[in-house]
Amino acid sequence: MDRSYLAKRLLHALIIAWGVMTASFFLMRIGPHSPADKYLATLGAGHNVSQVTAAIESRYGVDRPLYEQYFNYINSLLHGDWGWSFSTSMPVSDLIKIHWAYSFQLIFLSSILAIILGISLGIFTAARKNTKADHIATFFSFAGISIPNFWLGMMLILIFSVKLGWFKTYYDTGLPMFSLSNLYALILPVITLATGMVAGYGRFVRSSMLENMNKDFVRTARAKGLPESVVLRKHVFRNALLPVVTIIMLDMSGIIFGGAYITEFIFGIPGLGWMSLKAVFSDDYSVVMAVTLIGAFVTLFFNLVADIAYTYLDPRIRYE
Amino acid sequence: MTSEIILSIENLKTYFFTKKGIVRAVDNISFDIRKGEILCIVGESGSGKTVTALSILRLVESPGKIIEGKIILDEDNLLELSPHKMQDVRGNKIAMVFQDPHSALNPIFTIGDQVSEAISAHKSCNKEDASSQATQLLELVGIPLAKERYHDYPHQFSGGMKQRVVIAMALACHPRVLIADEPATALDLTVQAQILDLFLELRARFEMSIIYITHDLGVVSEIADSIVVMYAGRIMEKGGSRDVLGNPVHPYTKGLMGCLPSEKGIIIPIPGTIPGLINPPAGCIFHPRCVNALDICRMERPPMTKITDEHYVSCFLGGVNG
Repeated sequence: MDRSYLAKRLLHALIIAWGVMTASFFLMRIGPHSPADKYLATLGAGHNVSQVTAAIESRYGVDRPLYEQYFNYINSLLHGDWGWSFSTSMPVSDLIKIHWAYSFQLIFLSSILAIILGISLGIFTAARKNTKADHIATFFSFAGISIPNFWLGMMLILIFSVKLGWFKTYYDTGLPMFSLSNLYALILPVITLATGMVAGYGRFVRSSMLENMNKDFVRTARAKGLPESVVLRKHVFRNALLPVVTIIMLDMSGIIFGGAYITEFIFGIPGLGWMSLKAVFSDDYSVVMAVTLIGAFVTLFFNLVADIAYTYLDPRIRYE
Repeated sequence: MTSEIILSIENLKTYFFTKKGIVRAVDNISFDIRKGEILCIVGESGSGKTVTALSILRLVESPGKIIEGKIILDEDNLLELSPHKMQDVRGNKIAMVFQDPHSALNPIFTIGDQVSEAISAHKSCNKEDASSQATQLLELVGIPLAKERYHDYPHQFSGGMKQRVVIAMALACHPRVLIADEPATALDLTVQAQILDLFLELRARFEMSIIYITHDLGVVSEIADSIVVMYAGRIMEKGGSRDVLGNPVHPYTKGLMGCLPSEKGIIIPIPGTIPGLINPPAGCIFHPRCVNALDICRMERPPMTKITDEHYVSCFLGGVNG
């Protein structure tokens, strides 16, 4: 890995981010709504609609020609200004500062749990291929992959909160993030988000392990007289890990911008997902664009991390 | 040859229990190998040579299973050892070099790591000791600049050099028996010759016994002290190299020798192919391809017949000039 490769990759990432930004900008402007509409809906009758609309549009600059708005947007982005949130009346950057940590906490806890459990499950089932334990794990894995997490989340609430009453509290932003009560409230959301990941990673690790168990170098390792545990841990697992790292890294953006949003919404966790869904429903242009752009950055970041991780795990790969 | 017998295989049967039926990959074979000798197992692809080698190390994988026989090393029957004790035999008393050096090394560990791992698997020594011993081994098998190349990965080596690394790994604990399964087949001709020389050198230096598996009679005539000719999981003929090559008795051995270019440059192939082993032919397994087959060959399995003290053949025409 040399510097020029990294520079090239970062330049690519910037170009892609610009593309995403441009697309989201024009897509938002195609919509029939003006930010004034929502505001007008909150006013009673008897106002001069066209006057109010003009005033609001002029305040947010949406009465200017489209290309001018576009360049103004780029200009302010470059100055670290993500725009103004119409619906909450605050700068988008402040809004993100308030909400990102809750998303990060949920995603971080779920991913760590899912990676540990998924990899363990994969190794366990690969080592016991075609036994009863493997068949049972396979059944639950397919169930875990197939169940959509909005359904799982609602079922968990129905069973454990409503029927059994074990989880009565909700995430409370008034308390510290890592307070016991908030961690307790995160149990169901983490299960909701992690189930699909555990099942998916488990299957993937299993097949990757099995593929490597048949390799000649594994037989060589056994012929050396290494204990079976070393053969599995060192020679099979290290090789099996290569494709798993890629899958997990590429999966991350899907988890963050799919599963986590819905999970946050179902459990009322005020993270980025919860924030952006609300923004979508209230036609809050700048917030939606900001979140889309963050999504692009995160995806590009994990792609880059996957590629760099590869050079450390597989000596055959060197980027020029 | 009168040196002591090191390893003795008696009535070994290794079958594969597949969905289509039982494959008798190794079917009742016996042979001995003496101290310091090179024994060549010869035969076509699919004759059970590799399965024999894997059976000796008890590395046959499911659905294969050793169902009968004895493998005696130092008065121990390897087939009765606990898995833990067997693990201590592998790489320590019996080591193996595999056919394809390109896939026999783990691509993500350095060659030094893989050689020193073979040492520390059996000897209690610290990391530095293991790595300095590994460097010596790499020098011994002819890796130039062994010290610098210790930290290189397999993909940075040529096929011949990789095979030398694999041989260094096998030599790690100075095994009594080295099994080499077609170690030169995947390599260039010139490299093949170098690897053969290396084996001869190692044998002379360490008094190791070598089981050398090949389908190449040219190689056999160069290095073998004794020969086992296998066909479809059975031994057709075995004996001292001079006896088997100089006075081949079994029609299959003669056939194999016909496949070498003669002085006139004529090659006489053996008609047909190796039979399916799920429903093998009755009687002598070679009879469908045998030019001299008699009625009895179609019905009864020929016993091992002694020709001289060191020369045995499994053929009803044994000793008869057929």
